[in-house]
Amino acid sequence: MLLMVNDVDVAYGRAQVLHQISIAVDEGERVFMVGRNGAGKTTLLKTIAGFLAPSHGSIVFAGRPIAGLPAEEVARGGIRYVFQDKRVFTKLTVRENIEIAAHAAKIRLAEAIERVVEIYPKMTRFLDSPAGGLSGGQRQLLLLGRALLGQPRLLLIDEPTEGLSAGAIDEVFDVLEKSKGTVAMVIVEQNLSVVRQLADRVYAVKEGRVCSEYRDMAAIADPSVLEGVL
Amino acid sequence: MISVVAYGLTVGAILYIISIGLSLTFGTMRIVNFAHALIYTMGAYVLFTMLRVTGGNFVLAAIVGVAAAVPLAWAIERFVIRRLYGQSIDYAIIGTYAVLLIGVDATKWIWGATPLPLSDPIGKYVNVLGVDLPVYRLVVIALAVLIFAGLELFFRRTVVGKIVVAGLEDKDAVRSLGIRVDSYFSLVFILGSCLAALGGILYAPITTIHPYMGTHVLLLSFAVVLVGGLGSMRGTLVASFALGMVMAVTGRVWGPAAEAMVFAVMAVVLVLKPIEV
Repeated sequence: MLLMVNDVDVAYGRAQVLHQISIAVDEGERVFMVGRNGAGKTTLLKTIAGFLAPSHGSIVFAGRPIAGLPAEEVARGGIRYVFQDKRVFTKLTVRENIEIAAHAAKIRLAEAIERVVEIYPKMTRFLDSPAGGLSGGQRQLLLLGRALLGQPRLLLIDEPTEGLSAGAIDEVFDVLEKSKGTVAMVIVEQNLSVVRQLADRVYAVKEGRVCSEYRDMAAIADPSVLEGVL
Repeated sequence: MISVVAYGLTVGAILYIISIGLSLTFGTMRIVNFAHALIYTMGAYVLFTMLRVTGGNFVLAAIVGVAAAVPLAWAIERFVIRRLYGQSIDYAIIGTYAVLLIGVDATKWIWGATPLPLSDPIGKYVNVLGVDLPVYRLVVIALAVLIFAGLELFFRRTVVGKIVVAGLEDKDAVRSLGIRVDSYFSLVFILGSCLAALGGILYAPITTIHPYMGTHVLLLSFAVVLVGGLGSMRGTLVASFALGMVMAVTGRVWGPAAEAMVFAVMAVVLVLKPIEV
């Protein structure tokens, strides 16, 4: 397994949010986390990414324990986290957003731009525009492009299609689809249509616990199965 | 009138050089750094000592004064401020204020409490519209403009500067790319401290050097930073020169109210545009 999260507890102060949560992600696998708002999905991603430290349990990535490591160290180890809310650097241009990611990934800017444009060809039009002026879909694609520059082995993506138009969802979907097999992903997603089409494995999360795990995607084809979790 | 404008621009230039470091420190680290005033004072005292050592070579003494800020700033950042990241802003105020108080006493112990005068290092005047203005003050104004241009270039053209700008907006997003953003913020802290030392050095020949010179100017710098916007580089420039002019004009009309007017302007700005910390 590429990622093993075992019996992890996480608390914000006295409020425990995750209770003995365990998940596993294989190399190149697309794993979706579904559940209601406040179920603890984002907390789990932040914990794997190093923004929160578990109070109990272990997180092992590529054979190395990473629980409690700072976020930058986790990222350098091959995990990239794409935040919720489409958080691009709004005061910088699209090119400068890519430049920072290229610097972190230690690749040339021209090569980095080429790779982002390969993911989303229309980005060439916006390279010198402030990233703050991009639409939600364009921001998400920039974030995915930025994260993929580091050639991570695991991508953590929080609500990639949230608040996007149908067209933008299709564009994000295409990027996730094209990346199949090249990078493992843990994706928090509420759009069950996207989950059903892309997932290799699904964890349903409820009140900070994994309540169900689905490896057979035929099992989630029935709308009532996952909708009951949301 | 010309002399009032020149005085206002000089004070504005000094305020800018000191305040930009304070503003950047707050913007990057969310730390209200009272120790900034200590580094400002140290810059002036090291200049005083080095002028004696170098036989009056102002440029060389100033370079040493700025360089001396590096280890001092590093020590303050490493042993005090780094321990306060993410803590309540109150701890930072108490911690850095303690550093300032210790520093002021150390200054008195080393150099004494008696104010030390310094003469104008250039000692020449230029006639502008019938008014003789000290060339030194014009140099100070030009230096402030050059520093602004240099910082603009640094933050807009270099990848290090862009990482700091990105980190100011969203530190966690920068960290998620694998960048140790705190190292870049430490660099900014040292840069800001060097500018504080330079401010002390440049202002020393205009005023006198004394152990409390930093605490005095710090309050004015806070006013500049609050008016200009925390972490805003352009806002700090505009606020510095605007408040410098406020001081100069008010001082011309009623001397004792010159500094009070700066805080009155600050209060009005805060009422109209409250800050979010």
